[in-house]
Amino acid sequence: MPKVKTNRIKCPDGWELIEPNLCELDAKMREAESVPNDGKRKCEAFWPILKIAHQKSRYIFDLYYKRNELSRALYEFCLEQGYADRNLIAKWKKSGYESLCCLRCIQPRDHNFGTTCVCRALST
Amino acid sequence: MAHRLLRDLEADGWERSDFPIICESCLGDNPYVRMTKADFDKECKICTRPFTVFRWRPGRDARFKKTEICQTCSKLKNVCQVCLLDLEYGLPVQVRDTALSINSNDAIPKSDVNREYFAEEHDRRARAGIDYESSFGKARANDTILKLQRTTPYYKRNRAHVCSFYIRGECTRGAECPYRHEMPITGELSQQNIKDRYYGVNDPVAMKLLNKAGEMPSLEPPDDESIKTLYVGGLNERVTEQDLRDNFYAHGEIESIRMVPLRACAFVTYTTREGAEKAAEELSNKLVIKGLRLKLMWGRPQAPKPDSEGSDEARQQAAVAHSGMLPRAIISQQQSQIQPQDQNQPMHYFNIPPPPQQERAYYPSMDPQRMGALIPSHEGASNGPSGSGENKSGPEKQQQGQRYAFQGMPPPPGQYHHQLYPPPYGYMPPMPYQQYPPQYHSAMHPPQPPPTNQHYQHSAPSATYPGSAPPGSTAHSGSTPAGSAQPGSRPAGSTPPESGPSGSSTPGSSQQ
Repeated sequence: MPKVKTNRIKCPDGWELIEPNLCELDAKMREAESVPNDGKRKCEAFWPILKIAHQKSRYIFDLYYKRNELSRALYEFCLEQGYADRNLIAKWKKSGYESLCCLRCIQPRDHNFGTTCVCRALST
Repeated sequence: MAHRLLRDLEADGWERSDFPIICESCLGDNPYVRMTKADFDKECKICTRPFTVFRWRPGRDARFKKTEICQTCSKLKNVCQVCLLDLEYGLPVQVRDTALSINSNDAIPKSDVNREYFAEEHDRRARAGIDYESSFGKARANDTILKLQRTTPYYKRNRAHVCSFYIRGECTRGAECPYRHEMPITGELSQQNIKDRYYGVNDPVAMKLLNKAGEMPSLEPPDDESIKTLYVGGLNERVTEQDLRDNFYAHGEIESIRMVPLRACAFVTYTTREGAEKAAEELSNKLVIKGLRLKLMWGRPQAPKPDSEGSDEARQQAAVAHSGMLPRAIISQQQSQIQPQDQNQPMHYFNIPPPPQQERAYYPSMDPQRMGALIPSHEGASNGPSGSGENKSGPEKQQQGQRYAFQGMPPPPGQYHHQLYPPPYGYMPPMPYQQYPPQYHSAMHPPQPPPTNQHYQHSAPSATYPGSAPPGSTAHSGSTPAGSAQPGSRPAGSTPPESGPSGSSTPGSSQQ
């Protein structure tokens, strides 16, 4: 169901400025979700989804924490509406995790031997 | 088939275990292994009962391996849970069973409920400690098994599988693809079925091995009747002389055992030819000491060709083989035929005049100096005639001195020891040999002086190795092919002296 802005929700002030970008990202996500997954590995099919989810959260995170262009109220509004992932942003605030790709990569329960994803290893 | 829903674990005979039953090759070369254990994760490929699956990576360049059959099935046939090869020998079930004449196949049902029942029964009895008949521990390894068994782990089977996308030309992962980018091996051996392999029926690999076992070349006794020495190759530090003695004493009285750690080989000499032949017959292809498969060949007589194929080994063997049969000199001559650089001339050891090499036809290629051999011996052989002059004089003098000391020295078995050392090592002091009783003393005397002359007479080209053959060589006169090399190169003047020493053995040095 496309995200339609109904009248019931009260948007905070700066919403009109960021709304087009967020809509575009949502549309990208819908496209990615509808792609058929033939001939791809199980994990490979997820990559576009994860990428866009990361992108959306990143946008909001950047605007609020790096550029300080959002008010607290607007930021919280975006998080509540589901335009960004609160838990992921919480990790980005920690040192060493600034460019974490997703939450699954650091979840030991999801991996054999209780480790993390190989993407967390240093590439040198 | 029964449904495998959540049922009472105990009643069903679903198997649980704590550690897999696997062979060394499947476990891998890394002493640190992280293994996951998943209870009832998969069905056994043979009996289809759920069992505990263990999964690990056997080494850095290996794929992940997991147990494929349950422990009950693996204990029934004494095989590894992953590769289904025998735990002790690494052989397919069919090979092991035909070699040991075990036939347990009738007892194991192969279909449906019967099979499950049998497996569960067996499992229950094993857990309860009821002694069921297991022939695997008691069977003695027989010849075929010894010939065919794997003595070292084989890690090639742990490689990743072949990338099926690569076969079609479609692999988009490129360098990071964990599968092998090679074309698959096709052929009769590739059509294997796990059940066939387990039951030992219709297994192509097993057929191939059994055929190979039947055709393995046996060690034929060499024509030269006086050779009583066997060459044992492939040694390593762990194998001691005592081990060799233990293995060889059963076939005959051992005269001597000489080990050459540098060349990872040893020479075992028997007092009788029959003993040597018996040993060769019984041990060839089957000699395994401390897990190391050893190569057994006849000690090389002066014949230019060793008993079995092997090019380098044959040469080496030839070089060393004499286990005392020939004085180094002769051996070096032989060597010159094969490989000039192998002549680390024995001459040093035996300051004995060249044995009567008359029996052999002398070919120019037998002359080590001509072939550019580096002979650090007293002959001063160096590459080509030019260099040898200087070298000769030095060593010669040494030789002279020692000559008298060693007169009576028969070619001790240990001598080949020296032969192996490459030229850089130079000359081995004959000290050790002094103790040898001068059995050939009388015979020695006459030859003694002449060889000396010979040395001086010879200019660079002559290989005086034969000259230093100890009189002992006379005993082996029949086998002095190398000896002939020398006469050929000598100037005419030296021929008379040669006939002197050779007089005691068969005359006939004049070939050339």
